[in-house]
Amino acid sequence: MADRPVLMVTGSTRGIGRGIASYFLEKGYYVAGCSRGASELESDAYTHATLDIADEDEVRVWVRGVRKKYGGIDLLVCNAGLAPAAVLMTMTPGDLLESIFRTNVNGTFFVCREVAKAMVAQRSGRIVTMSSMAAAIHEEGTAAYAASKAAIVELTKVLAKEVAPAGVTCNVIAPSMFPSEQFSALGEEVTKRALERLVVKRVLTIGEICNVIEFLAAPESRVITGQVIHMGLVS
Amino acid sequence: MVTNDQALQLIQDSLDGLHESGIIPDAVRVDDGTVLLGTGSALDSIGFVTFVTEVEDRLQRDTGKDHYLVLADIHEFNAGESYLSAGSLARYISHLLGDSERNG
Repeated sequence: MADRPVLMVTGSTRGIGRGIASYFLEKGYYVAGCSRGASELESDAYTHATLDIADEDEVRVWVRGVRKKYGGIDLLVCNAGLAPAAVLMTMTPGDLLESIFRTNVNGTFFVCREVAKAMVAQRSGRIVTMSSMAAAIHEEGTAAYAASKAAIVELTKVLAKEVAPAGVTCNVIAPSMFPSEQFSALGEEVTKRALERLVVKRVLTIGEICNVIEFLAAPESRVITGQVIHMGLVS
Repeated sequence: MVTNDQALQLIQDSLDGLHESGIIPDAVRVDDGTVLLGTGSALDSIGFVTFVTEVEDRLQRDTGKDHYLVLADIHEFNAGESYLSAGSLARYISHLLGDSERNG
């Protein structure tokens, strides 16, 4: 294993993913990130892979490469996802539905699957997936997105049961709102309505999100698995 | 090219390694009919996942190339079997490495 903990994070070029990568680099982690585009993160402890997480083969090669480079993987944050502009379900085209599920569900599934295999072999590891408040508040215009985020909760819970005997935990974070391009893409009307549904009526900071990840990654959290941590919302 | 016997030996070595590291409680003697996945297997689900990773690691060390054991491909390669035997996996590995050599 490496001389420092190793984090893999998907979608690390922008928004929450980039914030997570930067935060854990500062905490002394080796960070292996990926996204469809190049990264501007500059650190000797950061490696970046350009790939599509919905491509099984590319994910296999990425995970194998990180495992070989560092000798193990301590923490995975499956953050990458699509958040399209709000559109009523009755108006949602099939190709939009498919692209959302391809990235959010298939992508999360493939990355979790490959990393879980590595963690099972090493008999330790923490997996954190990203759901959303959208899966809890049933906001109009988010049917495809909310359904994909609900699917992430379910696949994480099932995986949590499957890998628990190997000492691997899997949990979900469901952030409310974080100021990012994806957040803006939802549209002003949807974000305003969603904000009114929150208990903590403001956007989250990256520090607040990373605090939850750190909590789940802590040795003392080894018995916490299959849980969903909602942020800013009572669910 | 890897023969079936060499692939069976690799499977044996992988299982021995897992036994020595305490992941599999009992030693497994591998022959063509040894069940690896399904009724009668000495491996539970976690043990099987670990075994697959171990085989992939050994293949990488032995050949210098990354190889991935894909269960769906194995099933396709051994149509009609409801379990995975060491013999079936050995034939798949032999086929996999043969393809890899042919494709450079």
